[in-house]
Amino acid sequence: MADGQVVKRAKFKSSVKDPGVPGVLTMTREKCVFKPSDPSSAAKLNIEFKSIKGHKFTKEGSNKHALLNLTQDQGGNYIFEFNSFPDRDVCREFVATAIASSVEAGRTGSERSAVPLHNEQLSTAEMERRIKLLQEDSELQKLHKQFVIGDILSETEFWATRMKLLDDKASRKPKQRVGLKSDMIFNVKPSSDGQSNRVTFNLTPEIIHQIFAEKPAVRQAYLNFVPSKMTEKDFWTKYWRAEYLHSTKNIVAAAAEAAEDEELAVFLKQDDILVNEARRKIRRVDPTLDMEADEGDDYTHLPDHGLPRDGSKDVMDSQYEQYRRSFLQDLNRHAAVVLEGRAIDVELGDTRSVAEALARSKQVELANEASDGNANQERLDRISRMAEIEDLQAPRDHPVAPLSIKDPRDYFDSQQANALKTFGDTLAGTKQMTSDLSTSEAYGSLRESISEIKAVGLRAPIVKPEVALKVLNGLNQNISSTKYQIGKNAHESVLDRLPKITRDELLLHWTSIQELLKHFWSSYPITTTYLYTKVGKLKDAMSKIYPKLRDLKESQSDFRHQVSLLVQPMLQALDAAFAHYDADLQKRSAKSGERPNGFV
Amino acid sequence: MKFQIEDVTVYFPYDHIYPEQHAYMVELKRALDAKGHCLLEMPTGTGKTIALLSLITSYALSKPSSLVKLLYCTRTVHEMEKTLAELKLLHRYQRLHLGDAARTLALGLSSRKNLCINPAVVSAENRDSVDAGCRKLTASWVRALAVENPNIPTCRFYEDYEKAASDAVLPPGVYTLQDLRAFGKEKGWCPYFLARHMVQFANVVVYSYQYLLDPKVAGIISKEMQRESVVVFDEAHNIDNVCIEALSVSVRRQTLEGATRNLNKMTQEIQRFKNTDAGRLRAEYNRLVDGLAQRGNLPIGDTWLSNPVLPDDILKQAVPGHIRKAESFVSLLRRLVQYLKGRLETENVEKEGPVAFVGSINAQVGIDQKTLRFCYDRLHSLMLTLEITDTDEFLHIQTICDFATLVGTYTRGFSIIIEPFDERMPHIPDPVLQLSCHDASLAIKPVFERFQSVVITSGTLSPIDLYPRLLNFNPVVSRSFTMSLTRDCICPMVLTRGSDQLPVSTKFDLRSDPGVERNYGRLLLEMVSVVPDGIVCFFVSYSYMDGIEIMQHKLVFIETQDVVETTLALDNYRKACDCGRGAVFFCCQRQAAQCVGRVIRSKADYGMMIFADK
Repeated sequence: MADGQVVKRAKFKSSVKDPGVPGVLTMTREKCVFKPSDPSSAAKLNIEFKSIKGHKFTKEGSNKHALLNLTQDQGGNYIFEFNSFPDRDVCREFVATAIASSVEAGRTGSERSAVPLHNEQLSTAEMERRIKLLQEDSELQKLHKQFVIGDILSETEFWATRMKLLDDKASRKPKQRVGLKSDMIFNVKPSSDGQSNRVTFNLTPEIIHQIFAEKPAVRQAYLNFVPSKMTEKDFWTKYWRAEYLHSTKNIVAAAAEAAEDEELAVFLKQDDILVNEARRKIRRVDPTLDMEADEGDDYTHLPDHGLPRDGSKDVMDSQYEQYRRSFLQDLNRHAAVVLEGRAIDVELGDTRSVAEALARSKQVELANEASDGNANQERLDRISRMAEIEDLQAPRDHPVAPLSIKDPRDYFDSQQANALKTFGDTLAGTKQMTSDLSTSEAYGSLRESISEIKAVGLRAPIVKPEVALKVLNGLNQNISSTKYQIGKNAHESVLDRLPKITRDELLLHWTSIQELLKHFWSSYPITTTYLYTKVGKLKDAMSKIYPKLRDLKESQSDFRHQVSLLVQPMLQALDAAFAHYDADLQKRSAKSGERPNGFV
Repeated sequence: MKFQIEDVTVYFPYDHIYPEQHAYMVELKRALDAKGHCLLEMPTGTGKTIALLSLITSYALSKPSSLVKLLYCTRTVHEMEKTLAELKLLHRYQRLHLGDAARTLALGLSSRKNLCINPAVVSAENRDSVDAGCRKLTASWVRALAVENPNIPTCRFYEDYEKAASDAVLPPGVYTLQDLRAFGKEKGWCPYFLARHMVQFANVVVYSYQYLLDPKVAGIISKEMQRESVVVFDEAHNIDNVCIEALSVSVRRQTLEGATRNLNKMTQEIQRFKNTDAGRLRAEYNRLVDGLAQRGNLPIGDTWLSNPVLPDDILKQAVPGHIRKAESFVSLLRRLVQYLKGRLETENVEKEGPVAFVGSINAQVGIDQKTLRFCYDRLHSLMLTLEITDTDEFLHIQTICDFATLVGTYTRGFSIIIEPFDERMPHIPDPVLQLSCHDASLAIKPVFERFQSVVITSGTLSPIDLYPRLLNFNPVVSRSFTMSLTRDCICPMVLTRGSDQLPVSTKFDLRSDPGVERNYGRLLLEMVSVVPDGIVCFFVSYSYMDGIEIMQHKLVFIETQDVVETTLALDNYRKACDCGRGAVFFCCQRQAAQCVGRVIRSKADYGMMIFADK
């Protein structure tokens, strides 16, 4: 142990049932080596601790074997049987420290070296993340299988170009502003310690934000009271006291407490800010669902006219009226606030600034409403839109559709198809386009516009709208016609017309080449032997794909033209890589004569 | 599109038409030709409203000499707004094809609360306070005083409207309530009084049922409509209820206490007038000897809710001598209130006919039937004499007089029911005395008699032959149309058991059963997690609802007793569905047929209904 090495007799077993191969197990800090007693046995082992993920062992007992099981991160495991439990325990402890230190070394190592030369030691979490990524993305999995398992790229190299995917934070970083949670979090149940009558409420910044957003009176009270009149803690204590009183539904008791404590009363009374807001909002509500207007028109229900109905009995003493508040109201209010969305950009946490920001945003809203005269018109338009019966309407054609590229691939596929098309009938196409204008006509029009500009100066629009429209139509027509010829619907692309096998093959080659080229080009300039061998391997892999591509091109009879158009850029890219490789090699050999030529 | 139905060219604002719409129009036209009433049932989502509007306006256009006018009655103001929006579309289309020949005036009519633009008045909380706030500024005596004393506030919109006199007219067009308010603001004229004035000249008037059915309102709004008018009751499946409610009154302890306060106030006022202006009271007395309480030409600002009994039943005689004097009338009302107080003190549910009830009043406090009948008009006259403008404070005594007039007028079709407590809370005494009308045909009878064509229509009028009997009329056309569906856009389902195979039930005794509750909760939770956009939930009890868990999937909105809140919740619910966030709306239980009958608004919609009850 002192010299960092343990040597014990042990049997190596491929499984628990296996009788095992007797031999000597030697453990150093970096690895453990098993030498069978019988030198002819194939069960020689040389395991690096870096590849060991964990270890298991059997419990000490009379009729049990003293086993130690080392699990490898690739899934395999090694089982050793020791002669005695003490022997096993010594090894077990050694293994544990060795694994721990190697994990640590691997981690710091990967952080330090930009281009790690060896496989880094990965934490389980990291491993799981990679596995998950591979499972989620079949394309990635194919590449991984092809290159990493096929030993062209190392695990580290493969993932190095995909740091972004691995970077947990980057991938989960919100790209849009997050709205409010649907849950009503501030309706938290208090926790009780079960012994005294004390209850505890946990407040988080999120909860405070929700309370302030949904209960403007509480927000206002906070701004008024804290810290001049009371501490923040007292404030929230009072708030929860009020909530507790509400939850008992004893309105009389609530009124009594409120009468004694004017600050508490603020929480117990109806939220005036909310009432005013509701009154303001009801005026802007869609009249086709305004039930308040119905009530305002209902002469049958003059007090006590008509038949008595449920609910009309809720007559309450007016002195208590202001303390009534229902859970249902809270629910509606909550949903309304969530729907409005998060209106402030302040970091949650500083209670005061949150309160102030919310108060400010309300003021802005008020000002906007006051100045927004269009809202009325919009509401009217909306009503008349809603009144229309859509399916009785003749189909409306939109002369101008806004450009909205939802799936860029779809768009660029069609562009590619477009290119194909023009490539295919270049002559016909260009002729058609130019046949309208003779040279002199074109010249004339050019001169005309120059003199016009001279006379009037440059004025927008520089291009005549009709001309612009014509050009745009010409281009669009081309796009749509290729689309039409090539794919019946928007989701089809050129590739979809090819037989499935060909298409899959093409796509596979395409992604493979991409991956290889990425690594290839990123390896230059070659500064180390590591890069040198890497480039060599990459080049070999690429040259294996090259003939396949050519075969693919040749084998197609029906789509030969289109396939060759697709394959062509790939071949060109490969050619460029090969050329670069050869040139670089020549330069190297010219520079250092001692390096032999036979690397290729 | 334009097409012919027999001799009428129909202007229909769409390029296509559903077959049932066409069939509906054909039947409707026959009814109009026959100058008779009709009963038409056609499901929601088939464009019934536009078919009605399109045919009737086209019918009127094809017969320019006739005075066909459309009185379109909706149940609610928001339905009124929807109807007017459709009418706008139609009108735009007709203008396009006919030019100025299609000029019409169409407007909605509602209460002051919904039309007033005077910020000081309209900000009042409810309709009655807005009405009273308006009277305080527009009553003839207030305005007369203001001429002498400029410090007395008046309403500038009303004054300007009065000043414009016959120039104050609405140009042709279609006016929703909002449009009326906007027009009023622009001109500085009171939209409420302008609209009430324009109703007689309009080609189309859209208002709510009560403006025709409730004698209290109809008496002042719909007095002067031509016989040639076509009356439409849309969504009329509950029309019998509206009829019954229009003639029913209930009296509670609070009513009687309020009435007593009102009477005290009136006594004070009478005393004050005696001291300062005794001539007024004498003038009133003489007017009452001459004839009628207020049938004269009252200034438009002084009109109050009209007599609660139907126009034919109003006695056109001199007011009986013993209530012509203000004090004796007030003391008579005191006796009546006292009698009613005594009747409320009962331990058991009591039921009586009006004849017996009136007999008992006569025996105990000496008020005969004829005097009872005059109570309402006599009260109205007294309030005018006393120049009372805060009418919202005097609703209780008005209720008592309505009650007296109704009970003194009708001997059949009514009963008086006294209940000592609410059956849901038997331990809390809350006595109520109801005068319930149970003959729906009473209130609607004058409408059938006055107008040559009355159209009763709805999405659900089954059984359709029930309605002629309920409302006592003979339709010339009575038809049900079915909806033609080109695809399956509705999917009704019945669910009798929960996932644990236990039956689910809304029966009262099972309502609080935890197993039943759990099953409903789970059903709802599963639904909210898979249904996109919106779910509307009709539950008999909120206890089924586990709001917290639902909120993880959808926003939750709930109908409450507060209409403002419910309206905002509905508006938000729609927004949440439109923006994709999704929401659940909880409603109180209503008639199942009415709930699911409205699951789609048009054939472009789709929906699923689940009935979860064994």
